[in-house]
Order: sequence, then structure tokens, then C-alpha cells
Amino acid sequence: MHATDIALQIKNKYSSSVVGINVQRERRLWLELVAGDFRKCFERLIKEDGFEILVTITGLDTGEKYEVIYHMSDKEGRVLNIKISIDRDNPAVSTITDLFPAAELSERELMDLLGIKVEGLPEGRRYPLPDNWPQGQYPLRKDWDPSVLDKKIEKSGDKND
Amino acid sequence: MTKRIVIPVGPQHPALKEPASFDVTLKGERVADILVKVGYNHRGIEKGCEGRPYLHCVYLLERVCGICSHSHSTCFIQAVEELANVKIPEKASYIRALFGELERIHSHLLWLGVAAHEIGFDTLLMYSWRDREVVMDLLALLAGNRVNYTVNVIGGVRKDVTEEEKGQILKAVDILEERTKYYVRVATEEVSFIERLSKVGYISYEDALRLGAVGPTGRASGIKRDVRKDDPYAAYEEIDFDIITDDHCDVYGRAVVRVKELLQSYSIIRQLIKKLPQTPLSVNVPKNIPAGEAVSRYEAPRGEDIHYVKSNGTDKPDRVKLRAPTLANVQAVAKMLENGNFADVPIVVAAIDPCFSCTDRMIVAANDVLSEKENRMTWKQLREFSINWYKKNKGVDFSKIKKSDKHI
Amino acid sequence: MKIVDRIVNWARLKSPWVIHFNTGACNACDIEIVASITPTYDLERFGSLLKGTPRHADVLLCSGPVTRQLKDRLVRIYEQMPEPKFVVAVGTCACSGGVFNGCYSMLSGIDEAIPVSMYIPGCPASPDAIIDGVVKLLKEYEKSLKDKK
Repeated sequence: MHATDIALQIKNKYSSSVVGINVQRERRLWLELVAGDFRKCFERLIKEDGFEILVTITGLDTGEKYEVIYHMSDKEGRVLNIKISIDRDNPAVSTITDLFPAAELSERELMDLLGIKVEGLPEGRRYPLPDNWPQGQYPLRKDWDPSVLDKKIEKSGDKND
Repeated sequence: MTKRIVIPVGPQHPALKEPASFDVTLKGERVADILVKVGYNHRGIEKGCEGRPYLHCVYLLERVCGICSHSHSTCFIQAVEELANVKIPEKASYIRALFGELERIHSHLLWLGVAAHEIGFDTLLMYSWRDREVVMDLLALLAGNRVNYTVNVIGGVRKDVTEEEKGQILKAVDILEERTKYYVRVATEEVSFIERLSKVGYISYEDALRLGAVGPTGRASGIKRDVRKDDPYAAYEEIDFDIITDDHCDVYGRAVVRVKELLQSYSIIRQLIKKLPQTPLSVNVPKNIPAGEAVSRYEAPRGEDIHYVKSNGTDKPDRVKLRAPTLANVQAVAKMLENGNFADVPIVVAAIDPCFSCTDRMIVAANDVLSEKENRMTWKQLREFSINWYKKNKGVDFSKIKKSDKHI
Repeated sequence: MKIVDRIVNWARLKSPWVIHFNTGACNACDIEIVASITPTYDLERFGSLLKGTPRHADVLLCSGPVTRQLKDRLVRIYEQMPEPKFVVAVGTCACSGGVFNGCYSMLSGIDEAIPVSMYIPGCPASPDAIIDGVVKLLKEYEKSLKDKK
């Protein structure tokens, strides 16, 4: 089955939730979903359409909104990039660690680097930023100012390691 | 409820050359729970790329990891070329694949040495690192630097392979092949090697799939996935090779997969040299890359490497995201160590060929499932056992000695 | 100089024990450090030995620009080493930050955290350069001992 056929099939199946679908080339599909319907469609895409391998999760700041892209792959090496947009004030997504335990790292990265809240993710130590990183500083946000850093960093409070 | 002990390992630790820390909770000699913490190497490269022109990003991303430097730069450049809608000359794709395979050889030989060191087999460490110098010399000859070779430019490669160099590559490959056959014999016949690694760090096919193990780690558990076949890039579509898998699912299987992959790499290099076409080395790519998004995949020595690049029409990327193979495999480590021996921690961690400078992240893995069959004694039981033993065998009674509360 | 001191100095010069610590490097310098102790280069013929703990070491080989997360750990390792101690910054980014300059989560060079005795540039520093650096360091130390006399 060609990528265009798959795109058409997905578009028809999830028509009410699809914002747009685009075939970049044979093995690259870009799908944009309505943020609210993401979880519902995501589960079906894994189980019914064969995109069962989570490659990674990307978070980005477009200036007006945040976007989260879930890169999924199937057995033939096709990559389906599922994108959702979230509002700048009080950004949040729901966790997918119940489906993919390996997503935990990528989700913690969303929290640390972009300040996107991941609902349902169990408590844990922070990653990848240092323990003494000041609160509320998210380096991948476009409006982040690195110069505040040196003023705010205090001595590391982590005595364990 | 028996007493548990938490042993912190790292960030500076003789067994691991890179900073990573593990809080290992022990129940007796068995690992009950492991907390992996990486992120010590977080340098902020993704953000660093946003302020740099594309060409500078190539140099920066090459230094994400010195061992798989070609992987990261190729992966990034493939994404940029897709955005710029450029098709690179055929020769460039062959040379990229050639360097990719040379890098795989040096990385796998490096791994073999490190793994041998972790099990106290230092002779093999010295052997494999001596042989690795053959590849390093070859890379220095071809590119001018031993480690960060930067053969890639956006739109192709910067350096041709001359006839004389071709001869030297083939000669080196012959030497290495002979040596690798010896390692295959070590891996399949040396009893102490097999006994030490078998059943250590076991992860089943289902678990490896669920936890997203990639590369040799996944292939050693029977997952037949290789980006070179699944999503061919560079010249791999025209090359004939097999995906090596193994069904041992343990550290031994991972060693076998890597040693066999070395033999595959030699065959790939011979084919690449034989088929090397005569075309220009690179095409011009405009400085400003049109706006868009691209995802690029690459089979690095450790597994699948992924780069996402978003461009905005200027000469600097808007967002670069990369996922190194170790990030996908580090989750599997916690599962592998579950209920294993504490002494196996270094070799199991080394068996995924971790590269924390690529990964730069931390995870929490709660695997609090220890089987009920207790093969340990409490301090009290041990004390009673020794008192009885001395009473029976030596005729000495130690039970009067005051018990110290300080122990454990 | 007392005879004991002379023996100690002789031992220190003929057998410097080395500890290696990755302070956020890309691994390139680290593999070159390991390459320098394996048969082709063999740093061990100068009597040096790679040790696992800072308490046994005379020379601290650091590679990498020092990430913010590792800064305190680096200082702690440095403080654990017995006197006299030497710090060698291996690689361009350990010397000055190199290609990573401007990234938010790191300092620019080892000398922002601890004093450095010797800089070995190169990206990565080749094993020959590392051996040359360590040998030069020992020569300098020998000279300083003679001057003291």
C-alpha cells in the first residue's frame, strides 16, 4: 500500500479529528490532529493502522503556540508524524507512558525544556537539566533569555551524588 | 520485610568512562530496583543549533558524540537536504555509506574491548583496541582526523577516495576480517566468555519490543529492524547485506550480533569500493533553506538515530531535535538488570554500548518486582548461622558476645 | 632534601597515576585517552597507570567543557586527590569551551571550575598529543623540584 493510500484511509477514518494530512514522500507522513481528540485517535492508530513503534516525541515553540509531534513508525519503515498544537497559557498534554513506557524520557524533556505539563506522568527526578536549575526557566522557549541564568543558579542542593 | 540497601554507582566510576549515576537498590545480592540518572552531559546542543547557520550546526552536531560523529552529521544533513529539495550526487552517497561502515567497525571493536574489560578479560581489550587502530589510521588517512572527520557538507561530501586509498582500504579490510574471524571463534568457542555472558541481562523479545530497544540490543532479542533496510538512505539500497539477529536475548547475544555485524560491514565496504561511481562530489545548496519540516533516520552503530529539523526560510534552523539510540535503550537496561546480580551491573550497562553524551537525559524506572524465592539471609539469620557453625565445628560459643547495632 | 622526599619524588616522576573524568565531553577525547593506554600508543611504558579513584591519582585528565550538572562533582573529585596534584585539560572544549561556546548548560573550559596545569588542544586531542602533554608535564615538575633545591 502506498503512502497516499494510507493517508486517504486515515483521513476518512478520523475525518472529524484531522486538521490536515500531508504526504512528504513515500515513507514520511505528516498528520495534524485536534488536540482534544489526540488520545482517542492515537490508540486506534497504534492498534488498527500498524504505527506501533514510538520513535520519539518532539516539542517545539512556534512563537504563537506550542506544538508536540509524536513520531511513530510501522514495520515497513514508514514514519507517521502526529502533530498537535497547544495553547501558550497553561500548556498541557496527556501522558502516553501507559502505552509506551519508553516515552517517559521524552515527556520529561517536554516538561523541563519547554515547560509543557504532562498529565498522568508519575513523579520522578528531573531530566535533563541540572538539579540546581532555577524554577520556571525553559530554555527551548523562543522568548527565553539565557542571561538570567547565572544570576539565578545557586549552589547545587543535591547531596546524594 | 527484609532490609534493602541502596548503593550509588557513579557519576565518576571506574567501570564507566562517562558520567551517569545509578542508584541500585539491593535485596541481598540481587538488584531489586534501579534508578538511572543521566543528564550529566547535557550541554544544550539543541538550543545551540537554533542560533547557528546550518553549516556550523554540522560541526556542532558532529560533536554530539565523538564515537558516532558521522551518524549525527549525516542524519542532520539528510534532513536539511530534504528540506532544500536537493539530490546529492551518487558518489557522495557511496562515500557517506563508506564512512558510516568504517565508523561502525571502529565502534563495534571499541565495544568489544570495553565489554571484555568489564568481565575482566583484558587481553581481549588490548587485542581489539590494537586492531581498532587499523580503522583509525584509515579514517585519518581518508579524512585527516581520527575521530571527528567531517566528510559531510550540505549537498554532498568534501573529499574523494583516490585509487591508492581504495587499495589501502581493501588491504585494511582484509587484515580486519582475519582478526574478526578470530573474535568470532573467541565468542563461539571460548568457554569462560560464553559462561560469563550467557543468561546475563536477559530481555525477552516482547519486552524489548515494548521498551523500544533499538540497534544491536534489539536485534540480539530477535527484533529484525535495521534502518539501512527499512528506510534506506545513502547508498544502502544498492548494497547487498543481511540484518544480523540472534535469539539469545542476553549479553552474549549482543556480543555475537556485534561481531557478526563487523563481518557484514567488511562485505559492505568491499561492495561500495567496487561500485564507487564517477560523479561530482557535491552540489550547491542555497544558504537559506526553504521553510518546512523533515525527519531523518540513520542506523548508527548503537541503533537508530533520529533528527527532526524545522526550517523557517533563513540560514538558521528553527528547531533541531535529535534522539540518540542510547535514549531508546536505557529503558531496557532497567528491565535487564531486574533480579540480576549486582556484579553484573557494569557489563549489562556496557552491553547496550551506552553513549550518554548523546543521550543527556535521565529516567526513573521502578522495577520493584522481586520474585518471592528469597536466596539471601538477614543479618540476624547470618549471625545465628555462624554461631551455630562455630559451636558445632570448633566448639566455641560466640553467643555471649554483645551484638552491635551498627551493622547494616 | 630528605632521603624520603627524594624517594617519593622519584616515584612520583617515574610512575604518575592518572584518573580520567569526563566533564561533559563528546566521548571523542575519552576514546583517545583510552587509545593512548592500549598497545599502539602505550602510555603505560612511562610508568603511568589509569586508576579508578581520585584518592590514588596524581594526574586528573579532564575532557569536556564542564556541564553545569557536573561542576560540583568535578570540584569534589579534585579535592579528593592528594597533593601535589595536576590537572590536564584534554581537548579544545576542555581548554576553552570550543565548539560548544554559547550553549546554556555548560561553562567554557575546565579552568572555570578548578586550576589547570596543562592544556592539550585538539578536537579530539590525538593520543600522541596526550602522551606528549603528560611527558611535558612531568618534565616541568622535575624542573620545579630541581629549582626548589
